[in-house]
Parts: sequence; C-alpha cells; structure tokens
Amino acid sequence: MPTALNSSPPVSFIDPQVLMTIKNLELRARVVVEGFWHGLHRSPYHGFSVEFTEYRPYSSGDDPRYLDWHLVARTDRYYIKKFEDETNLRCHLLVDNSRSMTYGSRGYSKEAYANTLAATLAYFLSHQGDAVGLLTFDEQIREFLPARNRPGHLRHLMLALEKPAAGSTTDLTAPLKRIVEIVRKRGLMVLISDLLAPVETLEANLAVLTSSGHEVIVFQVFDPAEVEFDFAKASQFYDIESGRELYIEPDVARREYLKKLDAHSAAVRSACQHLGVAHQRLVTSQPLELALFDFLRARMQRGKTIKRATPGRGLG
Amino acid sequence: MSFLAPLFLLGALAVALPVIFHLIRRTTREKTPFSSLMFLLPTPPRVTRRSRLENIWLLVLRCLVIVLLALGFGRPFLQKVLPPARPSDAGRKFVVLLDTSASMKRAGVWEDAVAKANAAVRNTSVGDELALFAFDRALRPVITFAEWNEAKPDQRDAFASQRINQLKPTWAATHLGSALTQAAELFDAAGVGQRTNVHRQIVLISDLQEGSRLDGLQGHEWPRGVEVVLQTVKPKSTGNAGLRWLAGTEAESKPGEQADARFRVINTTESKRDQLQLRWLADVTPSTNATPLDIYVPAGQSRIVAAPKPAPSGDARLVLAGDAETFDNSVFVVKSQPARLPILFLGTDVENDATQPLYYLRRAFPPTSRQIVEVLARKPDDPALAGDLFRAQLVVISDGLPDAALDSVKEFARNGRIVLVAMKNAAAAQTVARLLGLGDFTASEVTGNYAILGQIDFQHPLFAPFADPRFSDFTKIHFWKHRRIDAARLSGARVLAKFDDGDPALAQMPVGKGGVVILTSAWQPADSQLALSSKFVPLLHSLLELSANLPAQKAQYFIGDEVPFPPSQQPLTVHKPDGKEVPLVGATKFTDTDQPGIYAVTPAGWRFAVNLAPEESRTSPLPVDQLLALGVPLKQRSIDAGASTVQQQARLQAAELEGQQKLWRWLIVAALVVLMVETWLAGRVTNRARAASQAQA
Repeated sequence: MPTALNSSPPVSFIDPQVLMTIKNLELRARVVVEGFWHGLHRSPYHGFSVEFTEYRPYSSGDDPRYLDWHLVARTDRYYIKKFEDETNLRCHLLVDNSRSMTYGSRGYSKEAYANTLAATLAYFLSHQGDAVGLLTFDEQIREFLPARNRPGHLRHLMLALEKPAAGSTTDLTAPLKRIVEIVRKRGLMVLISDLLAPVETLEANLAVLTSSGHEVIVFQVFDPAEVEFDFAKASQFYDIESGRELYIEPDVARREYLKKLDAHSAAVRSACQHLGVAHQRLVTSQPLELALFDFLRARMQRGKTIKRATPGRGLG
Repeated sequence: MSFLAPLFLLGALAVALPVIFHLIRRTTREKTPFSSLMFLLPTPPRVTRRSRLENIWLLVLRCLVIVLLALGFGRPFLQKVLPPARPSDAGRKFVVLLDTSASMKRAGVWEDAVAKANAAVRNTSVGDELALFAFDRALRPVITFAEWNEAKPDQRDAFASQRINQLKPTWAATHLGSALTQAAELFDAAGVGQRTNVHRQIVLISDLQEGSRLDGLQGHEWPRGVEVVLQTVKPKSTGNAGLRWLAGTEAESKPGEQADARFRVINTTESKRDQLQLRWLADVTPSTNATPLDIYVPAGQSRIVAAPKPAPSGDARLVLAGDAETFDNSVFVVKSQPARLPILFLGTDVENDATQPLYYLRRAFPPTSRQIVEVLARKPDDPALAGDLFRAQLVVISDGLPDAALDSVKEFARNGRIVLVAMKNAAAAQTVARLLGLGDFTASEVTGNYAILGQIDFQHPLFAPFADPRFSDFTKIHFWKHRRIDAARLSGARVLAKFDDGDPALAQMPVGKGGVVILTSAWQPADSQLALSSKFVPLLHSLLELSANLPAQKAQYFIGDEVPFPPSQQPLTVHKPDGKEVPLVGATKFTDTDQPGIYAVTPAGWRFAVNLAPEESRTSPLPVDQLLALGVPLKQRSIDAGASTVQQQARLQAAELEGQQKLWRWLIVAALVVLMVETWLAGRVTNRARAASQAQA
C-alpha cells in the first residue's frame, strides 16, 4: 500500500536535488512521472484507474483500441468500453507563488519544488487524459489556464509555471474566491502552498472551495530548514515577504519556533479534516514521487469514502 | 603624575562601553533571509557569561584607547621639583622701568605707578636682584644692580622706596622702544647673559600711551629668556586734547609783518569732550585779555586752526581749555628774531657808485624775517676795523690794500672765516700775495674777446646749489676782463671754476681754519655781467653760508632737544622759565631743556621756546598687540600679581609644567598606535571567522 511505500521509500526514487538540476520543467515532470510508471508497472496496484463504467456503441472516429473485441466476437456488434476517469475529471492546480515560497535552504526554492510538483501532476493527469488547469497566485491571481485536455495545453501550462514569482504575501482569500467564480463545474482543486498565513482565514478560504462542491487536496510545502530550524549562528533574520527584521538566536528561538510551527500545522490539519480536505505535508527534501503517491492515495481514499457515502455515483 | 583637567578622566568611565559591547554577543551585520517570521520571537540581547568573553585582546585594546584618550584630555604632567615655578632662590633678575614722561602727570597715574614700582620691589625675595630705571626720552638709573646688591636685604625695600618717592614725572616724551632695548642689554651688562636659566624679567610700569616712540624695537634681537611684564597704569579720566605749533608759516613772511600762527589741535579717541577753547596768555604782559576762540574737534580727529586774534606782539603762550588733562595744554611761542649777519667790505669804493663792486654787494642781500645781512663798508685805515672784523661773517676785498689792514684780515681767515678777493685790477694780486704769504705774486690783465666760465666744480659747496642742470648754465655771463694768475703758485688751491681760455676764474686757498676765495674778475659792469646775472645773489649767499657755517637759529624746540649756539666772545647765560640761570662756558650747545617755557639767553638777547613733544598728547592706550607684533617678549600675566592666591599660583604652575612637558601629545600618539593595532587585529579576527564559516559551509 502507499503507506508502506511512504515509510520505506525505494532507492529508485530520484533525489529532488538531482531532479532540480534539470532546467526544463516539462522534462523534470516527465522524469518523475515515467519513473513513477516504471515503478508502477512492477507494482501490483496499477489497475485502479481503469474503472469500467459502461459500453457505448462504436461510432466512426472512435479509437479502435477501445473496442471490446470479446463482445464483437460474441454479439457481432461494436461497443466501446468507457472508463470513468478519462473524461470528467477537471483538475485545477492552484500554485502559491508568493515570495515566501522563494525560500530554500537546499539550493532550490520551495517554489521550484511546488512548480515541479504541479508540473508532475499536470503531466501525469494530462497523460491520463484528464483536463488540467492552472492558477498561480500570490496575493492575487497571476496566471490562469482553464482545465483542458488538448494537445499543446500542457505546454502552455508548463510555460505559465516557469514564469518567475513576483508577488509578496501569501493571501488565499482573493485567489480562491476568484477561482470559485471562474470554475463553475465541480472538479478537483489541488492547492500547493506553504500556507504560512493565519489558520482562521485559511479555514474560511478552504471552506469557499469545498462549499462549491470541489474536491480539494492541499499540499503544504516546507523547506527542511523551516521544519527543523537548524540554524547555527545568531543573526538578523529578515522576512522575505515583509522585509521585517528580527534578531534571532536559533538556540534560544528553536524550541518556541517548533512549538508554534507544530501548533500551526496541527491547526491546518484539523481545519482540513474538518472540511474534508486531504492535507499533505511535503518537505522539499522528499522525492516527488512520494507526493504523487500521496496524491493518488488521497484520490482513492476520497473515491472510496464518497462511493461509500453515495453508492452508484461516479467519482466527482 | 598630576592632571591639569582631571574632570576629563571621567571619560575613562567610557571603558565600560567596549566591555558591554563585547559581552553582548550580537553580530548585527549578518543577515539571514527566512520565509516568514510569524513563528519567531525576537531574541532579547543576551549577555554572555564572563567565561565566554570573546576576543579578549580586542577588548583590551579598545579599553586602552579610551583610557589613553581620557588621560590625554586630562592633560597630565609630572610634578617636577627641578624647575620650580617661582625660582626665588635661583636669583631672579628684574629691571623695573618706570615711565616718567609728561603723560604720567595725568591725574592718578603717577601715584599708581609709584605704588606699582614699590610693589615690584616688595615682591622680590632675598636672592633676587633688581634695578630700577626711570625713562622718558632717555633711560636714567634710579637703582642699579650694584646698589641693590650693596644694600642689606632687609633694608632694600626702604631704600628703594625712598629712591622711588624722590622721582617725579618730567616733561619729556616717551621713548619706549629705546628704553626697552637698553633695559634688555642691562642684563648682559650685569653678567647674566651667559646663564640662560636665570629668570630675567623687565617690569614695565607705564601708561603705555599711543604716542610712545617704539623705534628700535623692530628687528631687535631680544636676549633669550628675557620677558617683559606690563604693568599698565590707567588715569582717572579718559581723553585728552593736545596742541601743536606748526612751524613754517613765518619763514615766508617779510620782517615786521605779523604772520598768522597756525596750530594743530588733536583730540584722542577716548575723549568725551569736543568743545575746546584756545586763548592767548601773554607771558610778558599779563594785561592781555584776549578773547578765547571756540573750536570743535570730535574725538579721534585733529583740526588745524589759526591762532585767535589779536595775536600778542611779543612772546606768548597759547592755552587750550576744555579737555580733561591740562599737562599738555600750553604752547609757548617766541617771536622769531632774524639773525644779523654783517659782511665787511674792505676798500675805497664810493657809496652809490654803480661802477664799483660795493654798489652791487649792498643790494645782493635783501632782509628776510630769518636773517638781516648788513654790508659794512670800511676803509683800510678805519680804526673801528678790528671790532667790525670780530662781528663780520664774511670779508670782501676787491683792490690792493695796505699790509697793515691785511694782517688782521688774515687773522680773520685763520679763525675759520672766508675772505673773498674779487680782483677788479691786477693790483689786487698784491692783496692775495699778502693774505696767502706769497712773495711776489702777480697778475696780468687779459683783454680782448670776452671769456665765459668753461669748467665749474659743482661738487664744491659754493656751486652745489647750481648742480642741477636747470641752473648750471653759466655761459650767459660774459666776463669782459679778467686777470690771469699763475695757478701753479697757489699750492693747495682748489680751482672751483675756469674760464674757457683755461685761466682760473675762482679758486679757494685754505688759510688756517678758514680760507681765501679768489675771483680773478669782478662783478661791476666794466668787468663782467656777473652782478646782473641771476647767479650773483645765490653765489654770494653760498659764500656767506660757507663762511658763517651756522645753521639758522630756531626759536622752537621740544623738551630734551639740544639748542646750538654760535660761538660768542662773551660768556652767555641761559635763563630758564623757572628762573634758574645756567651759564654757558665754552659750550656751543644748551642741553638742559627740561621744562616747557621761554628761555632767554643773555647778553646775546636770544629767546627760544621749549614745548612739550606733540606725541605726548596722544594718550590713547597703546594696543598691546602692537608690542607683540614688534617682537617684545611679553608675558601676559605677571607672576607678581599680588592678588593671586596660592591656588591660582599652583594652577598657573601646573599649567606651565604641563605646557613644558606636553605629555598629552604622546598619549594621543599612543592611542593612535593602539587604534591601528586594534584595526589590524579586528581585521584578522574577522577574516579568520569568515574563512572558518566558509570552510564549514
């Protein structure tokens, strides 16, 4: 199960540090996804996405690959096997491009990691035949690409992701409200952010998404330095977003910091749980494949809970 | 080690600052970016424990800099006993200069000066030497070093005080410059010059008036170690106006005509009064009730005014009234008397005969207010000749004369006078021979074409007035006749002019102290055009001056001036204004002009006035800067200021010691050196830390 994978990651996972040396975002995404597939083929759990829903009479122009040859042999009629995922998943990737995301202590920023993650997901979903949209934001919306599955769309998406961040603060309110207004059809919202904002507003913002019927997955991205606060020397710390300066002695401040960070994370997690939002905490030192696994697992869990709750209805 | 400004040592408390900075471990320069500070609290500045003091050496150096600076500002000095601030026992030398000029007569000045002089004497200690000099125009010893040393130490005060109290201010001007330079030389004369460590001080007690003469100070080489202490005395009143008679107006006027006397009235800048009055006071006739003349002279300005009218006919005194000080308010004026200069003409010429030389000689000397020249014509056999020869300033002869008369004339020349022999005929050569003691000296008549003066010795005083090219043209004077003499016979003669044919025209032969001047022609129209030319009168005047050899008798002198007299057969007596009589025996000068007034000389009947020097009226204080600019080694504060307390003296001494040692300079230099070391060390520490951090990264 994915949990097992999470606890003991296979050695074949690509180190993010090595991955980030690849300049091209699309190439990076492809490396992750293909490696993932590569591993997936060897895994016994690869068939989950080919969920059969119904047959449809073949009409000219349909891909003959999807003809059910058995049925043709049996009934001499042409039927196309239809898979549910293929068509009606509309996924929007909401990527935080605020300035706090530019922080990185391992040679690459959280933003690069988040962008790679978004690209990976887009690539993966796109190759799975789903429509992928993109929304990058800081305190307001920067880029918006509606969810589509067209040749060339992925390329646009990659280009949009590669644009440098220019924003300052993390403020989810305006972007999320806006996306709710734009995206009328229900779909999947993947929020990739460090969520370094007060929890109260965050909960309200996520509630806007969920109340519109969207399925929400939150990837909270952290830098290892943010998680461990392993600074050695005392110095003047300054906030990338606000420019505020504080004299910090890490030895003294670490305990309090970790305590507050844990409290914040717990608050975020409980808020997500409360709203039925899948929350994943990612540290940029983790391989991206794991995030992908987490994504799929969240999707499956979600599917199961929803199926369990409303039997006979397909995945939203 | 003592300190001149110990309060600055409090600055050393600033040592605490680097210590605190070192204890606060706060590297403010390093900055670390971070995504968000929302989980961070500012860390309060933490003070490290003593065991964790970093960079001890830097701390020590920084503390040292502050301590050194504080010490430097504290102006430290070493209390030395070697050069004590009051080297009383080393034997100080004092020269006290007491101003006795006329301006010291002002109210309250002299008493103050005497008190200061007595105080200066009292302030000496047993080992000191003191000399006291009074000065005005000249330096006069009151107490010499020798007298001081002879007196017993316990009697010196009384002795000096007695001498000082005998002094009185005189009427003379203030020659401060020469007094100071002479006083400085007194140290050398007293044998102190070689020992430079002896404390030598000139104490100048004066009113330091603006009119003091400072000549001699410029560029004067002051002996090393001599210092001048000023003890200025101030008058009770400020401001003064002075009066000065302006000479030169009478000279142009004709005799018998009363000239308008002019006076300059000056008022000092401090003066508060500008309305003054001028009034004649007749010395001789007290009945003159002249009306005063009101004049207005603003402070700091001067006016030239004509004397009030009517002017008294005789000698008189002009008095200025209305200013604060009276010592300089009188000017004595003597009616100038022309000098009488008799010229003796020896010959047989008839009066009013225009063909004879005498006629022209009489008319060559018009009388002026300065001098009246009378020409006395005497026959060679005149019995009054001897008496006239005594009075005469010049003897003129134009003809051959009997030997008896010539002997007394020769004596006249030997006494320093000039005898002019204008040879109107060849017979006059006999006179020349007799006068010069030549056996057979003859002359031959030269006639024919006229002669002119061809070669003239303009170097000689006789022709010096004509030396200017404007006046040196003698060619218009035609000599129709002249006599040729044998110049070779005249040994020692100086030929002053020659005719164009080479014959001597004018020659001078020394005889005794005087001489004989031979003119080989004469000036009557038959001989030459000389009498009609413009050169005639100046030439005779030159001759008269050469013979009389006497400067014009002046009638105005200042206090201290020497009054020259012509030699006189009779014993002369000078009557001073205060009634004293000074006999002049054999002297040709009178030097005792020590009071203003009118002096009379009997039996010659001369009178002259002696007045106060006009500079003495300029009583504004002399700026001390002017003395400093002239290089006078002034000491600003006297160590003998009696009012100074022990504390003040100790402070002065400390300041002097500190000024000599100047330890603060070394402390500042040391602080700079330590700062450099600190900079170097800090740089090294930083570099090392940076290298270490890079290595870690």
